Amino acid sequence: MDARPRVGVFVTCLVDLVRPQVGFAAATLLEKAGCEVHVPAQTCCGQPAWNSGADRHAADLARAVIAAFEPFDYVVAPSGSCAGMITVHYPEVLANDAEWLPRARALAAKTHELIAFLVNMRGMKQVKARCAARVCYHDSCSSLREMRVRAEPRMLLASVERLQVSELKEPEVCCGFGGLFSVKYPEISERMADDKIADAQATDAELMLGGDLGCLLHLKGRMQRKGINMRVRHVAEVLAGQGSEPALGE
Amino acid sequence: MTLDPGAFREAGQAALGDENLRRALSRLKTHFALGRAQAVERYGAQEWETLREQGRAIRDYALSNLDALLEQFERAVRAQGGQVHWARNAGEAREIVLGILRLHGARTVIKGKSMVSEEIGLNPFLEANGIVAVETDLGEYIVQLRQEPPSHIIAPAFHLNKEDVAKTFRAAHGELDPDRSLLERSELVAEARRVLRARFESADAGITGANFLTAEEGAAVLVTNEGNGDLTRLLPKTHIVLTGLEKVVANLEHAAVLLRLLTRSATGQDISSYVTLMRGPRGAGESDGPENFHVVLVDNGRTGMLGTEAQEVLRCIRCAACLNHCPIYAAVGGHAYGTAYTGPLGAALNPGMLGVALAHHQPNASTFCGRCAEVCPVKIPLPKIMRHWRAREYASGLVLKTTIRGLALWSFLAKRPALYRIASAIAAGGLKRMSRNGRVRALPMMRNWFLVRDFPAPQGRTFQSLWANRK
Amino acid sequence: MSAREEILSRIRIRRLHSAPTVPDFAPPALANPIEMFVARAQRANAELHFLDSEIDVPHTIAWLLRARNLPAIVHVPPHASALPWDTAPGLTLHRGAPGPDDAAVALAPFGIAETGTLVYASTAGAPASWHFRAGFEIAVVRADAILPHMENAIAVLKASGLPSTINFVTGPSRTGDIEQTLELGAHGPKALAILIVQN
Repeated sequence: MDARPRVGVFVTCLVDLVRPQVGFAAATLLEKAGCEVHVPAQTCCGQPAWNSGADRHAADLARAVIAAFEPFDYVVAPSGSCAGMITVHYPEVLANDAEWLPRARALAAKTHELIAFLVNMRGMKQVKARCAARVCYHDSCSSLREMRVRAEPRMLLASVERLQVSELKEPEVCCGFGGLFSVKYPEISERMADDKIADAQATDAELMLGGDLGCLLHLKGRMQRKGINMRVRHVAEVLAGQGSEPALGE
Repeated sequence: MTLDPGAFREAGQAALGDENLRRALSRLKTHFALGRAQAVERYGAQEWETLREQGRAIRDYALSNLDALLEQFERAVRAQGGQVHWARNAGEAREIVLGILRLHGARTVIKGKSMVSEEIGLNPFLEANGIVAVETDLGEYIVQLRQEPPSHIIAPAFHLNKEDVAKTFRAAHGELDPDRSLLERSELVAEARRVLRARFESADAGITGANFLTAEEGAAVLVTNEGNGDLTRLLPKTHIVLTGLEKVVANLEHAAVLLRLLTRSATGQDISSYVTLMRGPRGAGESDGPENFHVVLVDNGRTGMLGTEAQEVLRCIRCAACLNHCPIYAAVGGHAYGTAYTGPLGAALNPGMLGVALAHHQPNASTFCGRCAEVCPVKIPLPKIMRHWRAREYASGLVLKTTIRGLALWSFLAKRPALYRIASAIAAGGLKRMSRNGRVRALPMMRNWFLVRDFPAPQGRTFQSLWANRK
Repeated sequence: MSAREEILSRIRIRRLHSAPTVPDFAPPALANPIEMFVARAQRANAELHFLDSEIDVPHTIAWLLRARNLPAIVHVPPHASALPWDTAPGLTLHRGAPGPDDAAVALAPFGIAETGTLVYASTAGAPASWHFRAGFEIAVVRADAILPHMENAIAVLKASGLPSTINFVTGPSRTGDIEQTLELGAHGPKALAILIVQN
């Protein structure tokens, strides 16, 4: 393999604010995959602004992210949503900026979702981890449709000792987070969360894993409100061997 | 029932509590979505992607040559003895239709299903002018009796269960024997067939929509399963085709490709029971068909979307696959939208047709999950268009002040990493301190989050501060 | 400015001025068109029978009516009057348009294999409305007139001049408007039988 690639970890604002464990898990996994891990000073990818139509704010934040991360060989985010923002949307955000559009495209070309990066770019086939639990996996919409991540987390989870993965009946249906949607139309968001949680409960899983913290906070928060005792973690935590630390909301 | 797109949230809340509606909406998955998936599998997944790309190219070609194709269509229709009318807006379209009916002395009118007639509010206008237009599509007929708008663009009575329909027929059909059973769907269909057959025979004029217009042959293409559209065209003396002007394609060969996409995407059928090419009035040597043939081309905001970021929604072939796969539509149904076009199609179209202010809820009531774009047979980037409308809303200052200020504050901090680190550390610590039992139950802000959820307790320190300390 | 002029000029100003081209397209080839026609037509709830020749049509119709306990009456459009009806003397022929519970015969100039579809051109000899009036339609199509795709049918129709109405008919009339569940016989026929004549 070539010299250790320099990876800039885009931790995401939710991981930074709410659950640093995920950032550490990502760093652990990347180091295991032979990468030199860097965490440049960072804030937000700008997705809330972009999805709200606040295009100038989104462009400002995109430029800041590009400037901070373009020195690296790869940019890796433990989130399909933020990776998707950079990969799919930054060229749209800066479509009219002659100077920054090529830089946006260049960054987009080397930005990856964490698990897909480990499997597809670093050839990771298994992890050394142990987690005795019945698990269901929640695919975020951006992971499925923007970053096309589906088989990769399942492949690595299959190698986790004592772990049993059950599939949701409707993995392609949105959980109802959708960023600000969750607070603009809370009742619809609630219904979608309940449907997703019912799907998860029907698999008999005691632990839900996923690749996007936004979805997981929304689902766990709803479970807590309803008194449903299912543990929730980011998939990176289990893969990095952090599966016995307190789960989300514990 | 009044249609108010501004009341989407309230209407949605009411819909969420309607168990009867919920039962009906579950059929989106078991019938529509499953049917489409099976049809795609029958066709071949790879071949389907090729077909979608071809459909996209055909529609984009048509939109790029819209003026030439409409002029060619008009010439072809006139060469066959038909007439073409142009309506800039809903009001003009209504007046044109009324004018045609009056011109030919038509007093009884039957209709095939036409979403454009819903869009322009034709039926109430005709009624106010002394003409009652009877719907002949079964779903439209049912909602007409109930004085409700359709709730789905291809299945107007989608929100109803058979007991609702039986009740409606009993109330409306005078000669119906109270002892006659209407328990089975087949009995309901037979009853509708009986009542409507008489209307077909006696009507002076028939109004249909068109699924496609073909420029070269001057044809209107109609896709139905019931046969009512055909009887509406063939039996009355006057036939009016009411259609959006963006429906035109170059020729029948292009239409054949789109037909493959339409029926599979809409109902999972390889083809509908009836596909009819209608060209002008009755030809020489023909024994049935209308004497008078009119096509009313409706603009009503469509051409205004050309050359904008919303243009691609004009590719739409009205299959409703986006509705059938949308989790928001599945939660609240069609009536909550308060507009003729609903679901992701409505969210992309209505701000252009009705204005961003009036239709602002629809593009906002989306998680951008992207399933709609995935199933769209002509590859309309629906979430992208919805986002475009959100940007127009923002730029017009129509967004809530609190949201604007919130985003401005967030952006301010996010552009200043050092300040951001301090603020986020304070927030993380503060949220942690407010947590009890692993969660925050309420906050004076983001109240809508806490309306339905707790917030799982943060770890208390930010990643960046921990990472910096680790080094 | 007239509405027409205003609309057209708005289009001209706004539309894309680089016209994209439409690639050549051929629908997926069919290995066995007749087989496909039968399978798709059956899937659309049509009943299919193979006949050796046109001579067999009238008595097959008589048999179909008997099998359904229908009276031995069939409505015959003008262009079907030359069928060898004297081979089924028990059948009564009516020349007038069929009612919603009547049986009618229809001669289809073509079929389309891809979808199990019959193609009819409206003429004085074959009024289009008949396909929507009867309760039971019995269609006759020649095996060698079953074309692979709709595009083939369009080409043949264009060559002989398009009438004012062309009907592509697949299976009986149906509706899913009540609870998304299929019911046959909404406004057109409740049943469709297709007789494929092989010689």
